[in-house]
Amino acid sequence: MSVTNRKDNERDLLVIKLEAEKLSLAYNHSVVVKELTFQVAPGEMLGLIGPNGSGKSTVIKAFSHVILPRSGKILIDGKDIARIPRPELARLIGVVPQMPLLPSTFTAFEIVLMGRTPHLGLFQTEGTRDMEISWQAMGRTNTQSLAERKVGELSGGEIQRLVIARVLTQQPKAILLDEPTSNLDINHQVEILDLIKSLCREDNQTVVITLHDLNLAAQYCDRLLLLKNGQLHAQGTPAEVINAKNIEEVYGAEGCVYAHPVNGLPTVLLQAGNRRNGKK
Amino acid sequence: MSSNQVKPPRIEPAVPVRLPHRRRRAFGILGLLLVLGVVGAFATAVGSVQIPFLTILQVMFSKLPLVGITPNWPETTETIVLAIRLPRVILAGLVGAALSLAGATYQGLFRNPLADPYLIGVAQGAALGAVTGFLFPFDWPGIGVGIIPFLAFIGAVLSVAIVYLLARVGKTLPVTTLILAGVALGALFGSIVSFLVITSGQAMQGIIFWLMGSFSLSKWSEVQVILPYVAVGVVVILLYSRPLNVMQLDEEQAQQLGINVERVKLILLIAATLITAAAVSFVGTIGFVGIIIPHVVRLIWGPDNRILLPMSVLTGAIFMVSADLVARTLLSPMELPVGIVTAVCGAPFFLYLLRRKKRAVFF
Repeated sequence: MSVTNRKDNERDLLVIKLEAEKLSLAYNHSVVVKELTFQVAPGEMLGLIGPNGSGKSTVIKAFSHVILPRSGKILIDGKDIARIPRPELARLIGVVPQMPLLPSTFTAFEIVLMGRTPHLGLFQTEGTRDMEISWQAMGRTNTQSLAERKVGELSGGEIQRLVIARVLTQQPKAILLDEPTSNLDINHQVEILDLIKSLCREDNQTVVITLHDLNLAAQYCDRLLLLKNGQLHAQGTPAEVINAKNIEEVYGAEGCVYAHPVNGLPTVLLQAGNRRNGKK
Repeated sequence: MSSNQVKPPRIEPAVPVRLPHRRRRAFGILGLLLVLGVVGAFATAVGSVQIPFLTILQVMFSKLPLVGITPNWPETTETIVLAIRLPRVILAGLVGAALSLAGATYQGLFRNPLADPYLIGVAQGAALGAVTGFLFPFDWPGIGVGIIPFLAFIGAVLSVAIVYLLARVGKTLPVTTLILAGVALGALFGSIVSFLVITSGQAMQGIIFWLMGSFSLSKWSEVQVILPYVAVGVVVILLYSRPLNVMQLDEEQAQQLGINVERVKLILLIAATLITAAAVSFVGTIGFVGIIIPHVVRLIWGPDNRILLPMSVLTGAIFMVSADLVARTLLSPMELPVGIVTAVCGAPFFLYLLRRKKRAVFF
């Protein structure tokens, strides 16, 4: 047991770097992401923010090679993901999709165990080690008590935590999350984001996360990319990106950025009736 | 907290959760094999000529090597058992297994409880081929089997191939498009078949009997032709039962978990189509088995394809052998089309199960 543990720890030290190079993405004929170039440093927690339809989720899908670039490239440690076989890619990058559909008659534990898929050959079945990895992941996401429940009986927040347990079971080197907090109440939002942050800090995991909530993005992310109509509007630390000018230009809401009373990070406070068209 | 420090050895918690399919699989498979053996032996023993059960066993065992049983039964008994009943029972078992497994596979592949082996045009293609054979009964010794099964097989495989080519978008095969193309082409072929049937004159009765399915002309040669298809198809499909589980998530998640979704879809589609085509080409388009047996199995043993698929194979075989037994003995010497029996016996049993387990069980 200790041998496999040491191996796992060594694995943790191998962090990867993600890059998008002039990435353009499209569904049929509508281009949703245009010539996007950015990098995610190893072990960094990068937030993608922007209004609805700005292309955040599409970028996540492109990084897991579910949709193919119209032009440009996505690189993992300098290697084009189009050249990486799917099982290998799934060992490098794990995804928590937005509102994942799960087959309702499977148990929670079975769903989490599916995270081992990229580690198993066609003829292999899950062994004790795979079960233990799944069980530990469920421990970290506080879902062990759900293990034998049918997925169809679970709430949105429970499913969200379950899918995060599945991505931990997958043991990827980078985790991409698409709106992981959209189904959760404020307590669970903080719980999940604390967990993700700890993956980043303690396990050296590279994290890319899309968030609607600018305040959560400011609190948790090391760096933010602000997207507008599929193009990069601003990037940098939360303090550099979330300022009155950017928020007004991208969201059309004016004068609503303040400093957080405790840690001074930018905080967006909304006020009824205070909205104008995004045109400047 | 830093990962550079040496962590103290963790005490791993034993996992207190067991996987449902493992608990049930071994017992279930052994139990069903036993049932299949008993039902098969019983079906071989029963018929218009009464033969004692013991004699049946003696006749069968006498053909095994190293078993010294001296024949003390008439020649006709041996002919009835070995040349008439046994191939029929085995053929029914193979066809039941094939249709039921193909149905379970399509249901998993399409994530749709209404899917059956005939959803994407196999049955109508086979029917069109068979009817052509009935109307133009020329003999072509080169093909080794009769003209009707040959054309039925070609028709089944061709129609799925056409559906596949129509539904493909670039390198991907959207499941909904596949179903819609299959249903549309099936309707087209079905109406051509109907037209041919009403204008077929004397051949009509034979055609209708074929369409409803029958094992009345079963011979060892047919078992020999079907067996390789079913054996290879079953092995291939069972090998992919874990990926098929993962594909019960949506296709995007399956891809993100490392499954080559398009490749798995294509392999399973080809395997399920070939076993269905091989099965129906000899015995006709027997309905009901392919859609209901997988649901019966799912109700009893749960949704995990690693138990669902092998159990569907065995349950389908048991059910078809029993249905054929009823078909040939109920109104003896007249023989019912087995397709009628499968529906009349199977539907009430399924409805009973559905009522008894009132939870949402399907997908």
